[in-house]
Amino acid sequence: MNGSPRPGSPRPGSPRYGSPRYGTLWNGSLWLAWRQQRVLVGIGAAVLATAAAIAAYSRSGMLDALRSGLFDHCDPGPLSCTQSDTGLPLLLDIEPLTYLGTLNIALPVIIGVFWGAPLLGRDRELGTHRMVLAQGVSRGQWFASRFALAAVTTVVLSGLLAGVFAWWWRPAADRSFGLFWYETTALSGSGPRVVAAALFGLAAGTLLGLLTRRVLEAMGLTVLVTAATTLLLEWTHKTRLLVPPHTYTSAGSIPKPPMGEKWSTGDYGLITASGRRDDVMNCPFPSGAQLKECMTQHGYVARFYEANPAGDYWTFQWIDTAVLGGLALLLTAVTVLLLRRRI
Amino acid sequence: MTGPDAPAALRATGLGFRYRARGGWALRDCEFTVPSGRITALVGRNGAGKSTLLHLAGGHLRPGTGELRVLDAVPGTPDARTRVSLLTQDKPLYPRFTVADTLRMGEKLNSTWDRAAAEQIVREGGIPLAARVGELSPGHSTRVALALALGKRPELLLLDEPMADLDPVARGEIMATLMTEAAEHGTSIVLSSHVLPELEQTCDWVLLLRDGRVELSEDVEALRESHAVLTGRADQDDTLTAPHTVVRRRASGRQMTTLIRQRGPLRGDWHVERPRLEDILSGYLAAGDTVRPADAKRTEAAA
Repeated sequence: MNGSPRPGSPRPGSPRYGSPRYGTLWNGSLWLAWRQQRVLVGIGAAVLATAAAIAAYSRSGMLDALRSGLFDHCDPGPLSCTQSDTGLPLLLDIEPLTYLGTLNIALPVIIGVFWGAPLLGRDRELGTHRMVLAQGVSRGQWFASRFALAAVTTVVLSGLLAGVFAWWWRPAADRSFGLFWYETTALSGSGPRVVAAALFGLAAGTLLGLLTRRVLEAMGLTVLVTAATTLLLEWTHKTRLLVPPHTYTSAGSIPKPPMGEKWSTGDYGLITASGRRDDVMNCPFPSGAQLKECMTQHGYVARFYEANPAGDYWTFQWIDTAVLGGLALLLTAVTVLLLRRRI
Repeated sequence: MTGPDAPAALRATGLGFRYRARGGWALRDCEFTVPSGRITALVGRNGAGKSTLLHLAGGHLRPGTGELRVLDAVPGTPDARTRVSLLTQDKPLYPRFTVADTLRMGEKLNSTWDRAAAEQIVREGGIPLAARVGELSPGHSTRVALALALGKRPELLLLDEPMADLDPVARGEIMATLMTEAAEHGTSIVLSSHVLPELEQTCDWVLLLRDGRVELSEDVEALRESHAVLTGRADQDDTLTAPHTVVRRRASGRQMTTLIRQRGPLRGDWHVERPRLEDILSGYLAAGDTVRPADAKRTEAAA
């Protein structure tokens, strides 16, 4: 074998330069993505089926309770109505519904940790991306196929979970015996923002898996980032930072417009002729002569309270969707840019 | 494919690479051509840049300066990916895949795939197709990784210390598989190794790196013919001046053993032996900085 070059036999088959079977390679990288993510897809489908089954069971119980006529005398508004005989508050069993809402709120964390972080991180940790990239597929195909499968599954799963929540919630929506739109599990656990949040979790986990070399580290950081973002958005809800409340005023001591389905900020009080707003404790009387007397004495001409009307549900939803969806796009773009340098 | 028109398996011009923008050079000013159809030994001490060079050739890294061509293609392009196979040192495989899954993956991820050949390589090792890759012995998983690398019928196979964690028997078997592949299909092979005797029997081209620079890129037979091991009295050291190049000198008492690149007739009273490839390589590897830099240029010119 030593010495002069060995005579190389001509290669069997025709030369292969020119037209690699790109379509087939796309199929191949999708096959690999499916082969590696099928367990996760299965778990997602099982969670969805379980949620749907519980929802169907619980919702029919809810409808039965409503049909019994027990709740017919309840007024709209935030105050619970009571049972005529015992005086206990009348409530639907919405506890399972709030669990689903909580699951939907936690989706970005769960998907980020278990789907995003290992998506590139597992290959980075094992070095297997080098083995895959030593085959015929390109970096771009490798990333695009696995991220696309994960993203599509995330959208379908989170969309259906949000849909199940909406369907389940509808009979109990915005009633004192049910769940108001502004309660955390409803406001953040339903609607398009759930889908955007899940995609954000996936994108954050994917990027962190690319940046750190270890899956466990990526998972830990993903928990931090997604949980912090979720809590930050909750804080903007509570402080009405992005959706300012409306101020409802009523002249003199006439009754205030009913709170109804509005989300109170807890900020209410008295207004002077010059427009100054004072604390309600300056005239702590519900209504009537005392109130009128006190208001005249202090020079108050009107009363006010601040609240977000029910229609603001969609304003909150679209702002959250834009913020989380924008972050998801941004993080995905960063991932794509870093992909060429890091892998 | 080994005619004069055949593209070089590897061709570097002014190739340089560093891992960090302000870090040291892992490879610098590399200029060499490895003809196709050869089995090339890529030799160098730890940190000499062997793995870096192979990763550049595999398209996993991009050159900092200059360029590297594999079979006249830019590493990492679709054309190069189809024709070049790289097996990295850690031989990564998905531990939870079965052997059959792993081969199936090779079939799915490559535009050409020789299923029979891949399965035969696995079968020769007595590896059950249903076994999980994570549960295989190092020898067996190397064999599976090799099946994956060879199944795509590469024209150029790059192997980064493929035999490092194998016992001698497994080593021999895998080497035999590689030789068969090279003989039957004319595959060019570049393999890095620290086991010099192994290279003696298999390689016909040598690419020797030192501190990120190319010191030798030569035909093995030409290398053996141009080098000599001299044994004689130590006091005639002065006869070994230019045009000869002393690669390595070992004195023991009054005796001296020297490896030289011989140019023209020798003066002095020396016992001359034709060195084995192993002697030449270990001579170059063990040599201090004495050979560089002026002499290194000369050896390159000779190459």
